[in-house]
Amino acid sequence: MQQLRSIKRMSVAAALTFGVLAAACGGQSASSTSGVLRVATSVGESTMDPYDGNRFWPAINMVFDRLIGVDKDFTPIPELATKWESNADLTEWTLTLRDGVKFHDGSAFDSADAVYSVERMIDPEFDSPVRAVLGIIAKAEAPDPLTLKLTLSSAEADLPLLLADYRALMTPEGSKDSVGSSPVGTGPFKMEKLDPEGTSRFVANTDYFFGAPKLAAIEIPAIADNTAATQALVGGQVDLLLSIDAKSIPQFSDTSKFSVQQIPSGDWNAIDFKVDQKPFDDPRVRKALRIATDRQALTDLVLGKDGGVPTCDTPVWSADPFRWNGDCPQDIEGAKQLLAEAGYPDGIDIEVFTSDVEDNMVELVQAYQEQVKAAGIRVKLTMADASGYYDDVWMKEPAFVDSWGQRPAVQVLNEVYRSTATWNPTGQVDPELDAMLDEARSTADPGQRAIKYQAIQEHLFENSAIFIPYHKTLVRAMGANVKGIEPIVIDAVRWEKIEVG
Amino acid sequence: MSAVIQVLKRAALALVVFTVMACLTFLGVEALPGDACTSLLGRAATPNKLEQCRQENGLDEPVLTRMGTWAVDLVHGDLGYSVKRGAPVSEIIAPRLRNSLVLAAASALMAFPAAVVLGMYSARRRGTRRARAIDTTGLVLMTLPEFVTASALWLVFSIWLPILPGVAVLSSDATLAETMPTIWLPSLTLAVLVFAHVMRSMRASVVTTSARPFVDAARHRGVPERQVMRRHVMPAALPPAVNVMAVTGAWLLTGTFVVEVVFNFPGLGRLAVDAISDRDTALILALTLFGLAVFIFSSFVSDTITRLLDPRVRAGLGT
Repeated sequence: MQQLRSIKRMSVAAALTFGVLAAACGGQSASSTSGVLRVATSVGESTMDPYDGNRFWPAINMVFDRLIGVDKDFTPIPELATKWESNADLTEWTLTLRDGVKFHDGSAFDSADAVYSVERMIDPEFDSPVRAVLGIIAKAEAPDPLTLKLTLSSAEADLPLLLADYRALMTPEGSKDSVGSSPVGTGPFKMEKLDPEGTSRFVANTDYFFGAPKLAAIEIPAIADNTAATQALVGGQVDLLLSIDAKSIPQFSDTSKFSVQQIPSGDWNAIDFKVDQKPFDDPRVRKALRIATDRQALTDLVLGKDGGVPTCDTPVWSADPFRWNGDCPQDIEGAKQLLAEAGYPDGIDIEVFTSDVEDNMVELVQAYQEQVKAAGIRVKLTMADASGYYDDVWMKEPAFVDSWGQRPAVQVLNEVYRSTATWNPTGQVDPELDAMLDEARSTADPGQRAIKYQAIQEHLFENSAIFIPYHKTLVRAMGANVKGIEPIVIDAVRWEKIEVG
Repeated sequence: MSAVIQVLKRAALALVVFTVMACLTFLGVEALPGDACTSLLGRAATPNKLEQCRQENGLDEPVLTRMGTWAVDLVHGDLGYSVKRGAPVSEIIAPRLRNSLVLAAASALMAFPAAVVLGMYSARRRGTRRARAIDTTGLVLMTLPEFVTASALWLVFSIWLPILPGVAVLSSDATLAETMPTIWLPSLTLAVLVFAHVMRSMRASVVTTSARPFVDAARHRGVPERQVMRRHVMPAALPPAVNVMAVTGAWLLTGTFVVEVVFNFPGLGRLAVDAISDRDTALILALTLFGLAVFIFSSFVSDTITRLLDPRVRAGLGT
């Protein structure tokens, strides 16, 4: 496999060379069948059940709707719920559902469907990944057909943002056995054919409550290899690539044929240090390991120029209103001093596990290794096989590379850092942090809440065992004929507004 | 009678080889980190979910038990079940086998006749400008990595001209007619590679044979050059080239990973790559079995053709 990967890497280089040549010599314009958008996706996910770990993204977001969506500025906006309010202590939320919404099979969407959906998301036995987000919901009730009442196990001021998770979609009551292969949603497109290893097809739901989609259909061909997907767009066989390598941008420089969007996102990589292992049990060592790096240089090295936005170990991304914009320049002397205080005057040797299971994970350790040398931190890079990485290495080895997708502040801080979180990757138990999180989520005033969340991130910078150097900038490429896709993360894109010329 | 015994001997040997390979494949997949369930569940693999998945798919059984179950099922014609794809292995392989067969056939048809003719030409006209041009071209094509050839052909045929689709964008159940337009670029890429190999081995074989004493003797007897080639050189020069073609043909069916990935072609090569990364043991074993069958069959075909071409066999002199 390793050999195949290196072959693939070389093939990327060759394809890039030829691709740039193709673009320079006038590639065929990306044409599209009238009214059909073709979106390439990698092969993998195989079920339309939005709560399943192997959900077919982004198709689930074409077929189903959330109760609450997000606007361009990531504030909650109505989707299937038109308004929402909480009690004074933020433990009970009442949502008013949109009237007159029909599922694709003609049946009405009501609160019984919403209760059913929420109960599946939080069912401990089913153990959906969505449970990590909405597990705070203790009970869902339907006092009347258009009212959903959610009782929480603890206060949460940002429940609307949590409900805007891209997987928190509404499915019909009693659909658990059929939703995976024959999904019936309320969304802008109905599934016509599910073929995750071939071409799946979705047709317009002309009765969509936000208005009929502008496209007649969306087709999702599976193209496993990134180079092949790039070739398909250059050759006009697909119209949209949701994410391309920043290094492929030159292939799409001809603006008469293509358009490229660079979108700051909340996706991040990290090096995690398990706090129950020496020397990472000492907060001084952890801080030294984090401050010995030049984050801007590291970001440029790993992701390419403009490939990402540096961050000071906060998982909260630049567009989140609760983001803490701290300053964290490289501090070699400070790192050396901290290591000396911790009993390592001659520096330390550490081993960091990584893998090419996801992009940039190997390059991150290579760049880190070079940068921290000056502080006496000697890093041994150990490659692990991609297939067993998340089972054998992740959260198990003393130091390992991590990768997370975008989440709002409230979600990511609770999902990754709370002492009791299932996926707390470093095993760090920090009662002070937990108390701060509880306090922030029970603060109703957004301004006050922002101050509290920022204080949490500052606390993390002092104590955390997770080194986060950057948030990635996503690159989306499409034919010039594709209109209506705003340069924002895909969760906020409205599929019904997209059109092809 | 001796032929029957030979076939039986070969079958027995094939069975032994396959059993050894099946064991090695089983143990090999076992030795890799992770299993089908860790691959399926990814980072959502909580201990509970992993246990449930392993129970459902019998992965909690000891490896020997699983090997036994698999062997018993195989004897009953059941190739097993793919955990990742949630379908019987035979159903997954069937359409891809068809695609791979067509791909291999198209590549072989494009490459072999041209390779034989040009190989002979280049050997007979050694030293001429044309022959040198053919030789050099063959050498260059042979040393080009597949993905370079693939990218160059893609550039010419789907961007500059553009007359062929660049990558395969198909349904899993696409008919042969729907698949055909997407076959040309991968088969052309493979044909270029295969052509170079066969052409050079054909050339070498003709050159070597031409220098052998019996050919010289024929020439000294005054046999016309054309007859020397047809009656003396070719019968002796073809068998080694046929062997190369047989092995190459088997490779076309089983080893086209890179080309299939680059062109997104839904054949067995891409499936094998996916199966290994998915730790899909049943699928890997079925593909191993298929690969072995192809190599045994191709070596059988090559032996048979060689025997038929051998003048001593044709003359009933035995070998």
